[in-house]
Amino acid sequence: MGSAASAAAPPPPPPAQPQMAAPSYGLGLAGILPSKPEGDDKKEVEKVDYLNLPCPVPFEEIQREALMSLKPELFEGLRFDFTKGLNQKFSLSHSVFMGSLEVPSQSSETIKVPTAHYEFGANFLDPKLILVGRVMTDGRLNARVKCDLTDDLTLKINAQLTHEPHYSQGMFNFDYKGTDYRAQFQIGNNAFYGANYMQSVTPNLSMGTEIFWLGHQRKSGIGFASRYNTDKMVGTLQVASTGIVALSYVQKVSEKVSLASDFMYNHMSKDVTSSFGYDYMLRQCRLRGKIDSNGVVAAYLEERLNMGVNFLLSAELDHSKKNYKFGFGMTIGE
Amino acid sequence: MASRPSLKPKPKGKGARKGSPPADEEQSKAAATMQFVKEWTTWTMKKSKVAAHYGFIPLIIVLGMTTEPKPTLFQLLSPV
Repeated sequence: MGSAASAAAPPPPPPAQPQMAAPSYGLGLAGILPSKPEGDDKKEVEKVDYLNLPCPVPFEEIQREALMSLKPELFEGLRFDFTKGLNQKFSLSHSVFMGSLEVPSQSSETIKVPTAHYEFGANFLDPKLILVGRVMTDGRLNARVKCDLTDDLTLKINAQLTHEPHYSQGMFNFDYKGTDYRAQFQIGNNAFYGANYMQSVTPNLSMGTEIFWLGHQRKSGIGFASRYNTDKMVGTLQVASTGIVALSYVQKVSEKVSLASDFMYNHMSKDVTSSFGYDYMLRQCRLRGKIDSNGVVAAYLEERLNMGVNFLLSAELDHSKKNYKFGFGMTIGE
Repeated sequence: MASRPSLKPKPKGKGARKGSPPADEEQSKAAATMQFVKEWTTWTMKKSKVAAHYGFIPLIIVLGMTTEPKPTLFQLLSPV
């Protein structure tokens, strides 16, 4: 980024392009860890070595490309994030938000609650241990821990702790990474137990299943997912016994442009949603736009003003519900 | 602490059953132990939740201030 090349056409893609997705550290450290490379895709048509398949993407990240393009963090109001690095591994962050948050409501009317909060955070990033904590002025703590217990086994903890009793949530995940498979076991509060398994079937195709059990409500579910990806495209399919079918497709049109579309069907509520979006990753900015089958149009722009200074603009228009959300913000620091 | 008083009536409950036959006594002992373990784990979870709530961010800060190169206290507190 920031190169002075003024070539009219983008540079030709390198011959053997390894599959690297953009890191899932969105602004404000939305992801928990950098994405792992998906394995090399050789250009020559070789005999597939079925004993030597690449490691698949983790189960919860199969729709990662589609989610990155289609679900930016839209917000309404002012957002200001300042991240101060003290060390290679240690940084503090201060974040201010003033605007409206939407509260999910039963009726078709959207309820917006004007809020303002300040959030202080500290991050410790080590190859083997990542600790991310965010605390708000009302005492809510958002904590994430990722610890590599051994080379293949990883423990992840994700918790939201509040001062009000019975409102805290936590989830422990144990991830095991094998040569061409991944397995994960989850324990959450309210006696939630889940497990999922993902296996590489061919160099491009990986399939997996998941099951979960909710203790307090005695509910259980099972789901299947599969992901097909090449250098240029990613297609995923996910079916769950909770009655949800989700498909997504992302096409990487060029180095700078990718298009994504997604379809979701909920059998219980007979709800069908489909959306289509684009993602322009240019040198100085990143622009994402999408349109929905509910008639919602949204766009999100991150403009790089200077080294480490980003300007954000977010817009979401819903004419049928008369809900218009516009937000602007600034992010300083990595 | 709210959970402490609930542990006290336990000996009374166990003592009242001394008259019953040995098999029942074993069962009740097992049930009482299970109850005791459950209450003890709930007490531990509550205490560890409070400890995590107050101590997580200080833990990160302490850990970060001890890694090389050690930042100074001024760097931690200044807004620049």
